Amino acid sequence: MNAIPCLTIEDVANLDGILGAFLAKAEADLTVVIDRGGNVISQFGDMTVMDVTIIAALAAGSFAATKELARRIGEVEFNALYHQGNGNHIFMNSVDDDTIMITVFGRRTTVGLVRFHSSSTAQKVAELLKALSSGGHGFSFDASDVTATPVFADQ
Amino acid sequence: MSIINYASREIQFKIVYYGPALCGKTTNLAYIHQRINPENRGDLVSLATAADRTLFFDFLPLNAVVIKGFVTKFQLYTVPGQVIYNATRQLVLRSVDGVIFVADSQWEKMEENVESFKNLEDNLAKQNISIDEIPYVLQYNKRDLDNIAPVNYLEYVLNNRKRRVQSFEVISSTGQNVFASLNAVSQILLHKFSKQSDVPKTPPAPVVIPVEPPARQKQNASV
Repeated sequence: MNAIPCLTIEDVANLDGILGAFLAKAEADLTVVIDRGGNVISQFGDMTVMDVTIIAALAAGSFAATKELARRIGEVEFNALYHQGNGNHIFMNSVDDDTIMITVFGRRTTVGLVRFHSSSTAQKVAELLKALSSGGHGFSFDASDVTATPVFADQ
Repeated sequence: MSIINYASREIQFKIVYYGPALCGKTTNLAYIHQRINPENRGDLVSLATAADRTLFFDFLPLNAVVIKGFVTKFQLYTVPGQVIYNATRQLVLRSVDGVIFVADSQWEKMEENVESFKNLEDNLAKQNISIDEIPYVLQYNKRDLDNIAPVNYLEYVLNNRKRRVQSFEVISSTGQNVFASLNAVSQILLHKFSKQSDVPKTPPAPVVIPVEPPARQKQNASV
C-alpha cells in the first residue's frame, strides 16, 4: 500500500490564511501553489476567469524551461519569473525545491509590490509544507471505495 | 507524487503518454478530448511547432468521481517524442504517477520503440522511480497499417520483463482501445493507493512470449 501525501482541512485553512493575507497586501487577483510537476497544492482568489489546472501545468513548464537558460549564465535556476501582459500579468517564484507559487495580477497593483510580498509569503508556505512532509500525513482508501469501472467512458 | 486536498476533497494523478516520435501520443489525447463528456474535461492544450509536432507537451485535464467522496483529477500529458527533446521529457515526467507507453507497430520503428522505452527507464531512474514499480501499460499502436510486427514480436521486444504488464492493440486515429488503455492504467493507479493493495489482476496474457525472437516477416494479423 502507498499513501498519498495529504493536506488536512486544518492545513488548507493555514495555507489559505497565508495566501489570503498575501493577496490582500499585494492587491493581486489569484495565487496558486503548485508542485514542479504541475499539480495544484492550494489556490486562493478569483478562480472564475481561468482554468487553474491548465495555468498550473503551463506555469510548471515555463518555470522548468528557463532552468537551462539560468544555468548558461551560471545560476542554478531563476528564483522568479515575470510574464508581462497588457492588462494582466503573471509572477512566479520558487517556494522550495519542489514547489512554485504563481500570482496573477492586473492593473490594481504593480510587479514590485507583488514581488516584495511574495518573497516572505513563499518562506511561510515553505515552512508549512516542510512541517507537512515531516508530520507524516498520508491518505489511502479502501479498494471498495473505488466506485467506477471503467473510469472513463467513450461517448 | 500528487497531494490530496481534504478541504476541496480532490485527488490529482498525473499520467504521461510516452513513446517515440510520431507514434500517436497526441492522437490519443485528441481522441479522448473529442469523445469524453465535455463536463468531465478541460481544454486540450498543445504546445506544438508550426508543423504540429509536439514541442513541449500536450495537456488534457480530466475529472472523474471514482473514489467515494472525492473528485479525482487525472492530468494527461504527452512528451515530445523526438530524440533531441530529452530534457523536456524529463521535465514532463516530474511527479508522474502512471505511464502509457505508446509503441509504433511498424517494423521500421522497432529500434525507435526500444530506444524510447530505454529512455523512459533512464528518465524515471533519474527521479528514483523504477519502471518495475510505476503503474504502466503498453499500447501497440497503428494496428491498421500493413507493415506491422505481430503482437508476439512486440511483446518479446517490449514486455519481456519480470513484471509483465497489460498491453493493448490500438488504432489511435479511430480510437480503438484508446479508452481501454487509459482505464487500465487508471485502475492500476487507484488500486496502488488502496489499503488492501489489491491491484487488479492482469488479465491472462493475450500471447505467449517466444523464447527466441519471432522471425521478422510481414504479418498482417496478430498472433
